[in-house]
Amino acid sequence: MAIDNSPAFDRIRKQLPGVLITLGLVGCLTAVLFLLVWESGLAHGSIAYLIPVVIAATRWGIVPALVAAVCGVFASAFFFYPPAYSFRVKEPQEVIDLILFIFVAVTVSQLATRLKRQLEMARQREIDLRDLYAFSRRLAVAFDVSDIHAAIEDHLASIMQRHVVLFASARDASDSSGRRAGTAVPQRVLSEVAEVASGRRDTAGGAIVTAEDGEIWLVRAVSAKSLEFGVIAIDLGHESKERSDELRIRVDAVLADATATLERLGVAHAISEARMRAQTDQLREALIGSVSHELRTPLASILGAATVLSTAPALRQEKKLTALVHDVRDEAERLNNDIQNLLDATRISSDGIKPHVEWADPADIINSAAERCRHRLSDHRLALDVPPDLPLIHVDPVLVQQALVQIFDNAVKYSEANSRIEVAARTRDGQLHISVTDQGAGLTLTEAEKIWDRFARGERHAATTSGSGLGLWIASAFIGANDGKISAASKGPGLGTTISIDLPVSQAALPQLESGADE
Amino acid sequence: MSEPAPIVLVVDDEIQIRRFLRTGFELNGFVVHEAGTGAEAVRTATLRPIDLAIVDLGLPDMDGAEVVERVRSWSSVPIIVLSVRSAEAEKVRLLELGADDYVVKPFGMAELLARVRVALRRQMRAVSGEPTVKAGPLTIDLAARAVLLNDKRLTLTPKEYRLLQVLAQHAGNVVTHQHLLKEVWGSIHVHDTHYLRIFVRKLRQKIEPHPDTPKILVTELGVGYRLVQSGAEGDEGAWSDNNAQAKSET
Repeated sequence: MAIDNSPAFDRIRKQLPGVLITLGLVGCLTAVLFLLVWESGLAHGSIAYLIPVVIAATRWGIVPALVAAVCGVFASAFFFYPPAYSFRVKEPQEVIDLILFIFVAVTVSQLATRLKRQLEMARQREIDLRDLYAFSRRLAVAFDVSDIHAAIEDHLASIMQRHVVLFASARDASDSSGRRAGTAVPQRVLSEVAEVASGRRDTAGGAIVTAEDGEIWLVRAVSAKSLEFGVIAIDLGHESKERSDELRIRVDAVLADATATLERLGVAHAISEARMRAQTDQLREALIGSVSHELRTPLASILGAATVLSTAPALRQEKKLTALVHDVRDEAERLNNDIQNLLDATRISSDGIKPHVEWADPADIINSAAERCRHRLSDHRLALDVPPDLPLIHVDPVLVQQALVQIFDNAVKYSEANSRIEVAARTRDGQLHISVTDQGAGLTLTEAEKIWDRFARGERHAATTSGSGLGLWIASAFIGANDGKISAASKGPGLGTTISIDLPVSQAALPQLESGADE
Repeated sequence: MSEPAPIVLVVDDEIQIRRFLRTGFELNGFVVHEAGTGAEAVRTATLRPIDLAIVDLGLPDMDGAEVVERVRSWSSVPIIVLSVRSAEAEKVRLLELGADDYVVKPFGMAELLARVRVALRRQMRAVSGEPTVKAGPLTIDLAARAVLLNDKRLTLTPKEYRLLQVLAQHAGNVVTHQHLLKEVWGSIHVHDTHYLRIFVRKLRQKIEPHPDTPKILVTELGVGYRLVQSGAEGDEGAWSDNNAQAKSET
């Protein structure tokens, strides 16, 4: 039937249970009162009919309350007022009763409705606050910008119970044309997001976009004040105009709370700072990388040309000129080492180090490091103490060698010409222990703490020795990449330094030679 | 000199590098051809007789490895590659592709010349079929399968001899771990680097006057081994004249 679906019928149907229960209440009360009047001979029980009125008003609203009031008046008229069992009204008392009942019904039901609405609001508010609290807690432990963005996104999604996508920037929107996992965002919405994120459109309240598939999306900046928080797109589905307006107001409220939290925590500042720092780091690494590469290419020509000159027959008799050429070559070599350090440092901090491990003979590594440094070590007496029966180690030999070269370099730099540099290798507690001991400047307690830092330079020597302060940092990174440990010890300033490397020897893991290997 | 001057092809896109290489080689009695691109290098190697090629890896038109591969496909001319440091895997790949040796940039002329002489000598020996290889006090007679240290015959196990033989066949040049393992133990053992380490240790005890500081069978870290030939002392480092100085001081 057509009437079944009309709103009026709907409303009646909604009131029906309340009205029926109210009628039941009135009936029960009448029966009880009737018994009481019968037993005790009370004259007036009509005031008791306020009970169902109040119950109905608080429970089910104004309609059942009015029904209770009217039924109550009729029941008392019928049963208790003379003449009994008749609706005829003899006294004005009943009219007053009726007015009183109706007044109570209306007032109480309105009070109750208002109370109920406030209660509901309070409950919703409590949920929102709890979410907001969880949100701010999550923000507090967020490590980076993407954590913060994910927190905003999840917070909105859980409060709105809708599909929410947050775009950090205009580029994010243009990049992620449907790419982000599980979030198919229509193209029309994406372009709107890009517009808003680039600041070209002022959307304090957000813009409603109807996507290609007919779904309605709300697009707005998270904060009207700062675009740092990004732009959100909320899938409202196929909602009516009124309902989507309602949702929009709700989004406003939620976002107002969220941005207040974000602002209070200084998140905008943190985001922009983190972003700037990341960009600066990237830029710096890229700059160091490309500058080092660009510097190295001409250096190869300079060094090569200098070595050609130093052996040229025309210069052979010219002692002073030959010395100059040697200076060019030595300085170019030093520059090349510095550049190599910068390149290594960029490699460590940008890509991380990927060791190519193989079984290697520690003696080979130490000899090859000494060989590489022979020119630099020529003013010092290098003493190697490497037993012939050291176990093989499973490392990247090139990285360990480069770490040793850095340590040798450091020893040469901070000790007098002609002093001894001792290199010893031993196995101890399943570790291969390599130590490099010089008789040089030693370390103060504060220096010993700092020498592994990037760009660490000993203050006592800053004026007299050159260097970038990268060497030992690189060495420790290279040893660390081989699961090794590096440490420094010194008896004090002027008493020399011992740098020790410990590398694991896993005897059990070393595959045995197959019996046929030596045939 | 009755011998004709050796012809070297220098392949590098940097004109300054080519210039110093040309000067350096010419001062040492070489004839130099230059190529700035990979295509030009392949063309020159095809059209003109050359005794040796020096190939830089960073070429504008093709990877240096491709030049090595293309030239190697029809010619056995020695190829020395100019590479950068921290690229051991790449060095190994180039050696496997057929390069004879590599020099790390930046390098000194003396170091490159030493490598070039080793490569030329090896080529000459291959052509003439010369059966003995001398490395310091060590003599390896490949025809008689005899190894002599200071003219005294050494007793080597078959595997030790095989290892030394492969190294001697490439005397002066670096031989990769993989190549040695394959030649001595067979292809299933190409990754068993520890076999090599243990046998090299044993072999050094027998052939090196000072096994702790090997001078004949030297390690190229992360790449392989090299049998250092007598008369090719340029192997000792980038700046050999300086090294000589250092040696005389100590």
